[in-house]
Amino acid sequence: MEMPGPDPEIIGRRENIIKALQAFIPANSIIAEEEGLRPFECDGLTAYRELPLIVVLPENADQISRILNYCYQSGVKIVPRGAGTSLSGGALPLADAITLGLSKLNKIIEVDYENRCVVAEPGVTNLAITEAVEDCGYYYAPDPSSQIACTIGGNVAENSGGVHCLKYGLTTNNLLGLKMILMDGQTINLGGKHMDPGGYDLMGIVTGSEGLLGVITEVTVRILPKPPTARALLMGFNSSEAAGKCVASIIGAGIIPGGMEMMDRKAIHAAENFVNAGYPLDAEAILIVELDGPVEEVDYLTDKVSEISCMAGATFVRSSVNEEERLLFWAGRKAAFPAVGRISPDYYCMDGTIPRHRLPEVLKRIADAAVRYGLGVANVFHAGDGNLHPLILYDANKPGELESAEAFGAEILKLCVEVGGVLTGEHGVGVEKRDLMETMFTEVDLMQQQRIKCAFDPKQLLNPGKVFPKLHRCAELGRLHINGGEMRFPNLPRF
Amino acid sequence: MQTNFSLAQLSNPDIRDANEILRTCVHCGFCNTTCPTYSLLGDELDGPRGRIYLIKEMLERSRPASETDVKHLDRCLSCLSCMTTCPSGVNYLHLVDHGRRHIEETYKRKIMDRLTRRLLGAVLPSKGLFRLAILFANISRVFGPILPRQFQKMLSLASYSHVRNKVLTPSIYEAFGAGKYRVGILTGCVQDSLDPSINHSTIRLLNRHGCDVVLLSGVNCCGAINLHLGQEEQAIKHIEANVQTWLASDNLKKLDAIIINMSGCGTTVKDYGHILRDDVKFGKLGAKVSALAVDISEFIHRIGIKDSQLTKKFRVAYQSPCSLQHGQRVLSEPITLLEACGFDVVLPKNGHICCGSAGTYNILEDEIAEELGTKKFRSLEDCSPDIIASGNLGCIMQLKNAGDGVKPFPIVHTVELLDWATGGPPPLSMNKNLGDLS
Amino acid sequence: MSSVFEPKKIIDLEQIIGDALAQKIPLEILGAGSKRAVGQPMVTAQQVSLVSFSGITLYEPEELVLAARAGTPLMEIEKALDQFGQQLAFEPVNLGNMLGSKLAQTIGGIMATNFSGPRRIQAGAARDHLLGVEMVTGRGERIKTGGRVVKNVTGYDLCKLFVGSYGTLAVATDLTFKVLPASEKTRTILVAVEDEETAISAMKDSLNSPNNVSGAAFLSREISKRSKVSYVSSANASIAAIRIEGSAPSVEARCCALKKILIVYGDIQELHYHNSMQFWKEVGNVTPYVDKVGVVWRISAAPTNAIEIVRKISNNLAIEFYLDWGGGLIWLRVIEKRNDGGAVEIRDAIKGHGGHATLIRANEKIRSQVPVFQPQAEGVATLSQRLKSSFDPTGILNPGRMTYSPGPEHAN
Repeated sequence: MEMPGPDPEIIGRRENIIKALQAFIPANSIIAEEEGLRPFECDGLTAYRELPLIVVLPENADQISRILNYCYQSGVKIVPRGAGTSLSGGALPLADAITLGLSKLNKIIEVDYENRCVVAEPGVTNLAITEAVEDCGYYYAPDPSSQIACTIGGNVAENSGGVHCLKYGLTTNNLLGLKMILMDGQTINLGGKHMDPGGYDLMGIVTGSEGLLGVITEVTVRILPKPPTARALLMGFNSSEAAGKCVASIIGAGIIPGGMEMMDRKAIHAAENFVNAGYPLDAEAILIVELDGPVEEVDYLTDKVSEISCMAGATFVRSSVNEEERLLFWAGRKAAFPAVGRISPDYYCMDGTIPRHRLPEVLKRIADAAVRYGLGVANVFHAGDGNLHPLILYDANKPGELESAEAFGAEILKLCVEVGGVLTGEHGVGVEKRDLMETMFTEVDLMQQQRIKCAFDPKQLLNPGKVFPKLHRCAELGRLHINGGEMRFPNLPRF
Repeated sequence: MQTNFSLAQLSNPDIRDANEILRTCVHCGFCNTTCPTYSLLGDELDGPRGRIYLIKEMLERSRPASETDVKHLDRCLSCLSCMTTCPSGVNYLHLVDHGRRHIEETYKRKIMDRLTRRLLGAVLPSKGLFRLAILFANISRVFGPILPRQFQKMLSLASYSHVRNKVLTPSIYEAFGAGKYRVGILTGCVQDSLDPSINHSTIRLLNRHGCDVVLLSGVNCCGAINLHLGQEEQAIKHIEANVQTWLASDNLKKLDAIIINMSGCGTTVKDYGHILRDDVKFGKLGAKVSALAVDISEFIHRIGIKDSQLTKKFRVAYQSPCSLQHGQRVLSEPITLLEACGFDVVLPKNGHICCGSAGTYNILEDEIAEELGTKKFRSLEDCSPDIIASGNLGCIMQLKNAGDGVKPFPIVHTVELLDWATGGPPPLSMNKNLGDLS
Repeated sequence: MSSVFEPKKIIDLEQIIGDALAQKIPLEILGAGSKRAVGQPMVTAQQVSLVSFSGITLYEPEELVLAARAGTPLMEIEKALDQFGQQLAFEPVNLGNMLGSKLAQTIGGIMATNFSGPRRIQAGAARDHLLGVEMVTGRGERIKTGGRVVKNVTGYDLCKLFVGSYGTLAVATDLTFKVLPASEKTRTILVAVEDEETAISAMKDSLNSPNNVSGAAFLSREISKRSKVSYVSSANASIAAIRIEGSAPSVEARCCALKKILIVYGDIQELHYHNSMQFWKEVGNVTPYVDKVGVVWRISAAPTNAIEIVRKISNNLAIEFYLDWGGGLIWLRVIEKRNDGGAVEIRDAIKGHGGHATLIRANEKIRSQVPVFQPQAEGVATLSQRLKSSFDPTGILNPGRMTYSPGPEHAN
């Protein structure tokens, strides 16, 4: 993975930059010695690593604004970082950039039950929002599997999904307001506690922008009353195809479950080993289908879904009998990625989305490719929305295996695009999928996207090297190319 | 996670073990969130994932520990909350102990720090010296304010002692009625000096449940204090002595279990097998002791508790010590037992987060410890309990400190409540509260 | 004099925009034109109508996805969805009658204006349902964003920028959106309430209960009289209306639970299928103001602020209003004549509450004299302007429709 070459001039100014920062940032918030920088060299994607120039861990928005303004004035790049759980290298440092960690901004600012929202600092974890309101019967719906660790600021930056987003939407659908600081240090407010304000949807464009547009310092999210009943059905199948058919039939019957997840044999075994959830170890695929609502609805749907699953050939159907068991069913799924660390020293997690009905074909081709590359693969799948997470198992200590895994991964993602899907469903492009962007977008598409970046960050100092395969200067992007020559509509009246 | 050890490095069994542990880590970051210091300080370096990285770098590069390494590893409580959270099964305990050994071997601490650590490592595990220290503490309280901060802390710990109960003497304490089990016991070096009543309760409880309890004179400190200070040599000395003594007794007449009522010690004793794994003489023996070691709550749960004689319901906020819930994965047994005895058990919010006691931590990293202690006390207070119970003396002391001047809940060891419920006297520290409660 | 282009192919559209770009000719972009009267008045030389870009290009009910050309009439899409028991969950509204237009709105126009119906509070807005767009920018370049799958974070989400941009950034040709199963049952609980404050409490209690409410509105006695639903018009009282939808057993259970919550607020009646559908259509389509003259404003605010905002306004201005979205959406009609349509009073009242007021219905004169959209803070306004320039550097697409510039000239 090639990153933009470090600017020796910046690296040469390192000591001065540290000194300048010390003027307004407390000493224990600046990490400058190599031993301390090393643990920041990668995020959840360990295959790519780079030592940051400096790490700064500001304590409040004011400090962030001053840091950004200073960097803007002096041309220093910034890489924002939340909990560092990105699986696409979104927080991969640059040798000539400051890594701006937001983990100290970890307070919940306001819980407003009357308007059903929570205002939080960006470093608050996704799960902490639910924990703050669950005693009063509420929750925050998007629940990425890393919700125990990932932060709400990172969720906004990546537009994170989760196992419940089929019914309840992604981060962008649950967001009401943002406070963010632009690269020049200016603070802007987007949205608030109200819905759908007029004007361009800047909040919408910032969500999922992977830290390239600004630094989020406050997030307002919607919370929902917890459904009175939630029940998870655990089903085992003899093949992924059968499980896939079951999913299609459930949706075809007009049922949108709270969550619908699939795991294949390898993933089942790894997860079961960690949580002992009672997953059927002889199944080729399991489905976890969550139904929620009033108990009458859940009972009714449980019957319907059980019936559908039997028709689809489920060999094992079990409904959670209490909350503890429901959570246990989920615990295995939520920990499935890292649990794979039990069966392989390293894994490379893919995140393509496909039209659901192409699943059997895609799985088959992944399995074939796995044989070709000589690597194992465990599949975890957000079955309801077609978001596929093949985990390529490799050993980074074996020379050449990482490269094989990368090539295999690229092949999988290209396959997703080929069948009508996309490169990334929820993990973001980051550095990992950057060079594949051209399989999905034309040069013109990408240039327009970069113009958005230029509108927010004209000096291109925020998180450079991510998302876009080719960097263009903003001035060049702004240039207008008017096609001369023959006019097809010469009757256009002139002004 | 990828590692970079040379073949030469990997020929060292310790490095080989570290490498294996590091390879199971996938850098997902789940551990950070349940780490008490990360949640307080918000710095990657103060969370397990950062510490793992620091250790990895020190070992890979075979470089001496730097000030940064030391600062952030020292801040680790060894509460092992991260191990409960870790889906990949990283053995952080063994890795961090390795890191600490590396620090002791390669880093020269500042003179006061060195002195404090040496003093702690020498005094706490020795009952004689510790009792002397308590005496000194009581006399020297007048001089307190002019002593360095860490010494003041040490003294305040020592002066906590209320030696109202006689220290137990080595002997066999026979079961009431016919003995069904024969068990060894670790009375805990610090505990025995500070609050012997917990041991009295334990032995009474065991005797009442048909156990002959063998208290051996050769069994002393479990080694945890030295181990977590990175003082491996001293630790091993204690451990070997204990193993030898217990197994000698076992050879004489079989032990059904070795009972531990201070969960911090329990974690270490259960790890003897690993600690001594490369020891030619003691390797297998250590594993044998580890296999016998059980927490008192585990054991009573296993053999079944007698009916409760309490007539009144008390609301007990149960604080699960980290060494018990994370270190030994014993979480439900104490709760089940307390409930079986008729107590109304409530669990505090964030029960997985450490109270900050953590062995000598509250002396060495007093500021973080104090903050954690206050938080823990508040969360327990929020349960509006009649009594607070815990399975570890360290936590009990920490909570008493944190609650000092706030609200005088009786804070007792779980066994004291179990003993009381099944026919023993009420816990000593409850005497003054009982009137209000009943 | 302006004329209308009706390009039939994307390449024609590209060419038209390219030519307009070369000659700096401002274009008015139209679907059917049903919402032409919303926004600042524009002076354009040429209209580009997308009605020829019509038809559903993909519909896979089991994949919950439908794609259509921008000029496809909404009715056509709704008909197709109906056959498979599906719907656009954001409940597209038809403001045509209120705006005085009989034209059948297109899906492109709906997305370009981001008006969502009462179900917004439960199912999200139009913006939340758009998955992919192909469009031609003001640079004359054809670009695409998003895709046909729900979960997609590949590149910037330009769908969000397109939605609600009123044709000022790019001209959409093809849109792909998420569709969802329509509910088997719908039921509305009407509560005769004392006043708006009681209604706000009733709506809050309903929305804060786990009954998955999909509509929460308040209509004063005066306004409820105008309903075609006899239960509503004959209630002779202010009403709070709460809607629930879903499978039969679920609706039954939630209805029971809600009635228990709501009984303390006043007498209760229930609307079943047809009446319920009719009622929420009226609420969403702003039917109560159809036959009433006067300026109409749409105010988006935090539900707890709604009453205070309305009170402040009514201190200085003769108005009537009703509430949707549990109080989060205020439809307000200015009864007295004001040259600025009451803009000063309304925007003053919002100040400090963090809401937005958009002038939806007013004659051209008023619309040319006040900012139709809520004026933005400086930083946001600058950013918006930069975004506009990035798509449409010479300002040829619907110039000035979203930005107010005082003075007689509005072109760009």
